[in-house]
Amino acid sequence: MTGGGVMNRRRFLEALAAVGVVVACGPTATPSPSPSSAGVSPAPKPVSIEWWRRNYAAGTQSAETITSDAAVKAYKDRAANVTIAIQGGPFGAETDQKFDIAILQQHAGPDVFHTTGGDVLKYAAAGQLSQPTLTDAERNDFNPSALKATTYKGTVVAYPLWIVPWFEYINLDLFKEAGVTPPANGNWTYDEFLAAAKKLTFKRADGKQIYGFAHANDEFAFMLIDGGRPYDTSIKTWTFNSADAVSGLEKWVALAQQKVMPPDFLTLNPNDSQARFIAGEVAILQRPSAMINVLNADAKWKFGTNWDIANFPKAKGDQTAWGGVGFIAVREQSDADKKAAAHAFAKYLTGPDIGPDLKKQTPPVEYWLAPAGRKSAAGIYGDYHPAKAKVATMGAFTYVLPNVSTWSEIDQKYLRPARDAALEGKKTPKQALDEVAPQAQKLLDEANK
Amino acid sequence: MSATAASRRRRSFAAVLRRYGWSYIFVLPTFSLFVVFTLLPVVQGLVLSLQNARVTGGEFIGLANFETLAADPVFIQAVGNTILYATVVVAAQITLALVVASLIQPLGPRAHVFYRALFYLPLVNSAILVAMVWRWIFNANPYGLANTALGTVGLGPYLWIGSSDQALIAVILSAVLTIPGGGVVLYSAAMGSLPRELYEAADLDGASWFSKWRHITVPLLRPTTLYLVVIYTILAFQLFERVYIMTNGGGPNNATITIVQLIYSTAFQFGRYGLASAMAVVLFGMALVVAVVQFRSLRSDVEY
Repeated sequence: MTGGGVMNRRRFLEALAAVGVVVACGPTATPSPSPSSAGVSPAPKPVSIEWWRRNYAAGTQSAETITSDAAVKAYKDRAANVTIAIQGGPFGAETDQKFDIAILQQHAGPDVFHTTGGDVLKYAAAGQLSQPTLTDAERNDFNPSALKATTYKGTVVAYPLWIVPWFEYINLDLFKEAGVTPPANGNWTYDEFLAAAKKLTFKRADGKQIYGFAHANDEFAFMLIDGGRPYDTSIKTWTFNSADAVSGLEKWVALAQQKVMPPDFLTLNPNDSQARFIAGEVAILQRPSAMINVLNADAKWKFGTNWDIANFPKAKGDQTAWGGVGFIAVREQSDADKKAAAHAFAKYLTGPDIGPDLKKQTPPVEYWLAPAGRKSAAGIYGDYHPAKAKVATMGAFTYVLPNVSTWSEIDQKYLRPARDAALEGKKTPKQALDEVAPQAQKLLDEANK
Repeated sequence: MSATAASRRRRSFAAVLRRYGWSYIFVLPTFSLFVVFTLLPVVQGLVLSLQNARVTGGEFIGLANFETLAADPVFIQAVGNTILYATVVVAAQITLALVVASLIQPLGPRAHVFYRALFYLPLVNSAILVAMVWRWIFNANPYGLANTALGTVGLGPYLWIGSSDQALIAVILSAVLTIPGGGVVLYSAAMGSLPRELYEAADLDGASWFSKWRHITVPLLRPTTLYLVVIYTILAFQLFERVYIMTNGGGPNNATITIVQLIYSTAFQFGRYGLASAMAVVLFGMALVVAVVQFRSLRSDVEY
């Protein structure tokens, strides 16, 4: 019993030290301690943590590698006692499995890690996530959709990092050629959008076919346009066969019927669709914000001259654009020092200080790969490029899919085939979505068990 | 009497072990690797197929995974697509390999080497790259190679992989139109070892080239045909990368979904290892049944 008491005191002191680390290193509202002021307090205990980052490969020039190395370097200036080792792995099933085996089976591996979608729920359900402590100010600062997406059984279980808003890239040269006026301030209704897409679908004298609109095969944005949502607000009932979802799909089907999309639109993967836009074959392309960097890297694409950005077309619904969301999570573990250091670093990665810190580096590093996760971080994103300043305000337009662990199965096995059947005209939108509903509900029930 | 017989058997076994025991030591390394990397995973797959296994573990659920599969329309579609693909592709590839090997057979030794290399070398290409080329060939746009070629004779354009009606046809065509280099080499080698006397006798009887091919070459090649049919069928059942690359893993409306593609998604994207293992067991059963049927129907007692 006495031994237990000693242990408890030690734990308490360890926790106290960890809180000290958080306070000393925390990037929150209070300014960070300057090196000189840090010198007067006792030197914090050295801590080593491991950060697992998908697509990180030491020594390469991938965006994830550059930003991660820069983040670690910048954080070292704020918390010299924390040593961070980064482990990478390519995007894909292989790395997902590595995460699952380490976190779920071995209860080991990363102290802090990037995660997305249903993985957050999976790890939270297994009790493997250490909950962040967010102040009210921080909660209000995060995008509400993102915060909701990282909530498990009423508790926020990870730090929202980014939201990827989808919007429309428009080829201004093709608009000019077809005599179509771009949407004022990037806003248009569905009817205006459809009319523009029809005019922008034409064959040149040399036989080259131009298509008004294209998107990749990995999204369902149009089904949200009239307010349709996959689930009810409690995420218990499948609602993607509601009248609003059906009318959204009907609007999507209309684009196929009007033949404003390339004939292979059902198999256009993201890279293909981008390539078609860059080749000048597509006038309006629906893609996420990351494509801004792709266009900026190409000298012949000048923002405002050759291309611009428009919002997702508006109909009855408010949030109309489908968006992805990513998180930074901290793994639950008994080592209080590591856990506290991991939380402090996770807060830094998702907070407003990292952007300016990385911008100060030589050469400056752009941290925010995607905007709209957090209001206080949107400004720095907009500083990098006028197109980014424009999309930084588009987060409110974005619907973030609530996390459901069985979503990928619902999506790939049932919803996409149903969508394809409707777009091909083999089934009516209502018939296609009604047929999917029982299977989707079954998988939703399974996720809620 | 029986005690004596048992004792004799024991002595005989001991004698065999004394005489040949050392040879098992040489077999042991390979056998150990086979057990660790082939046999145990297969057994584990069988065990997993009876569990609701996920990455965090699983419980024994008997045959429930197989009941789920029997009621799953996507799995049934995958089985149908796999069987259709295997039937058409194996028949076409065997025929094509036999015809090509027969055409190069009368040529000289140098031409043999040249053509065998010509047909075999493409096999060393990455399957992914080949599938990407086929994706471009069967692009639904008018500039896809197939549409361009057909356009010159006033046909098309067709949607190919962009349509749920044509996507599987495009995938099958991509396999059928690829000359099976391995089959050509094996048939060509087998034809070279056929007894010449039979052809000389047929010549004396005034048999035509086609009659000799039909009544001598093809029947004598039955052992090779059996081997190729079994191997090609198993390979066809394992169809994955072509579908994954050409049609983004299942195509419009799941038109090109195959069993292995579904095993991949079920295990690595949906995290249902038990269900995926059950699919693998079904695939194993299918391959086994087809192989047995093929062995029984194509078995040949011909010796030469």
